[in-house]
Amino acid sequence: MTRTIMHIDMNAFFAAVEQQSNPALRDRPVAVVGSQQRTIILTSSYEARKFGVKTGMTLYEARQKCPQLQLVKANNRLYTYVSSQIMLIFQDYTPLVEIFSVDEAFLDVSGSLHYFGSVERIAYLIKSRIKARFGITCSVGIAPNKLLAKLASDMHKPDGLTLVRLDEVRDLLEELPIEDICGIGRKTTQKLNLLGIFTCGELGRFPVVKLKQKFGVVGERLALMGRGIDPGAVLSPEQEADVKTVGHSMTLRKDISLREDVARFLLQLSEMVGRRARRYSVSGRTVTLSIRYTDFSTFSRQQIQPAPISRSEEIYHAALRIFDRLLLTQPIRLLGVRLSNLQHRDCQLPLFLEERRREQLTKFLDRVNDRHGEFTVMSGSLLSVKGKGSHVISPAWRPEGIRNIGVR
Amino acid sequence: MREVVDDIRVGVIHGPGGRIQPVWFDLQRKQHRIQQVTNSWRERRGDVTLIYFHVIDEGALYELVYSPSEAHWCLEQIEALI
Repeated sequence: MTRTIMHIDMNAFFAAVEQQSNPALRDRPVAVVGSQQRTIILTSSYEARKFGVKTGMTLYEARQKCPQLQLVKANNRLYTYVSSQIMLIFQDYTPLVEIFSVDEAFLDVSGSLHYFGSVERIAYLIKSRIKARFGITCSVGIAPNKLLAKLASDMHKPDGLTLVRLDEVRDLLEELPIEDICGIGRKTTQKLNLLGIFTCGELGRFPVVKLKQKFGVVGERLALMGRGIDPGAVLSPEQEADVKTVGHSMTLRKDISLREDVARFLLQLSEMVGRRARRYSVSGRTVTLSIRYTDFSTFSRQQIQPAPISRSEEIYHAALRIFDRLLLTQPIRLLGVRLSNLQHRDCQLPLFLEERRREQLTKFLDRVNDRHGEFTVMSGSLLSVKGKGSHVISPAWRPEGIRNIGVR
Repeated sequence: MREVVDDIRVGVIHGPGGRIQPVWFDLQRKQHRIQQVTNSWRERRGDVTLIYFHVIDEGALYELVYSPSEAHWCLEQIEALI
């Protein structure tokens, strides 16, 4: 049976939300920047894009392109709220909604078509409801699978609706550059180019055996992608695989080298990781520390713990132990702490009194912070740290569950 | 909220190239001024072509459907916005 998959992509989402919440910004070139000091352009309005302002540019570069550019500090809470409300609209048309990121989702509407008449009507109902309630436009791609639906939604922006039928797939892909396909990144493109593959047509015709020799198991998937085949199902949040890690990272306001500075940030990150792990009753045996140097080279080191942990101070001590074994060669630009090898925590009370007291104290502190906000009660050494908490919406963000990472 | 009303009165501007733009419609003895047409598209149902309009008045989003062959309008309220 042919499936009907929809990919919905909000157009310049952050900038559009800002333009709607502040009428003075409407129809003007607007760029959203991070709330931290060392920031880049996160996204820009279509008015700014006409001047050449792009995601990832430095503020200086963006101002060179568009001197009248209005810069707005990211309001991540507002974006995640609007995103959650929009995702609820999708649920009115199918329970099979896979949230791909804060501003993108896949919908499998194969089973809903007869309720609404046609797939175009579902798409326009969604587009109109989002526009009427939030003033935001979105681009919709409709196709027999996720790969093609994503490709279709990119074809007409902003406010587009593109329908790719099964019999059009071959012609569509024949001359399409491989890098336009979601899942084929820069490095894979370079490797495929060395094999003489530049278009999806060429990729689809290339011997699968040779692709498997070069790319391993991914080779087979690449061959399918070249032919526009994607067997992947649209997975609702309940069907998504269990979370395997809980982690946070942060780009620091300025590069640091001193142990005491690193320790302070590790404590903050460990608290964020521990809080989220405890909220969703998981603990982990592996702690990973990630470091990015000033020259953007990045590496990770991990350590397995004797028993699963979830208390912030345990995660912190483990991360610090890993750090103490390292020999820094450059100042640090980014730090990350991750807890993996997860398992659900049992409710058995610790045997020893001291351990039981620590557990009780952690529970009490969590309750205070749940009620009054993150970092209401915290370790004294964090008092001087400015801008605590997550300032970036993770690509893995979801409106509910363990992936619902609170942002500032 | 969903409420389908068959055969309603709609005020329309006929433009060049057979373009039509709904301007107001009557619902429950009240005339609703259309503030914005958010989307419009055509769909074929067998031999019949239907033209869909999603429109907003001051309080709700509506779907107006026009059948050119019968010169007939029907309306569905999709969502209250207030």
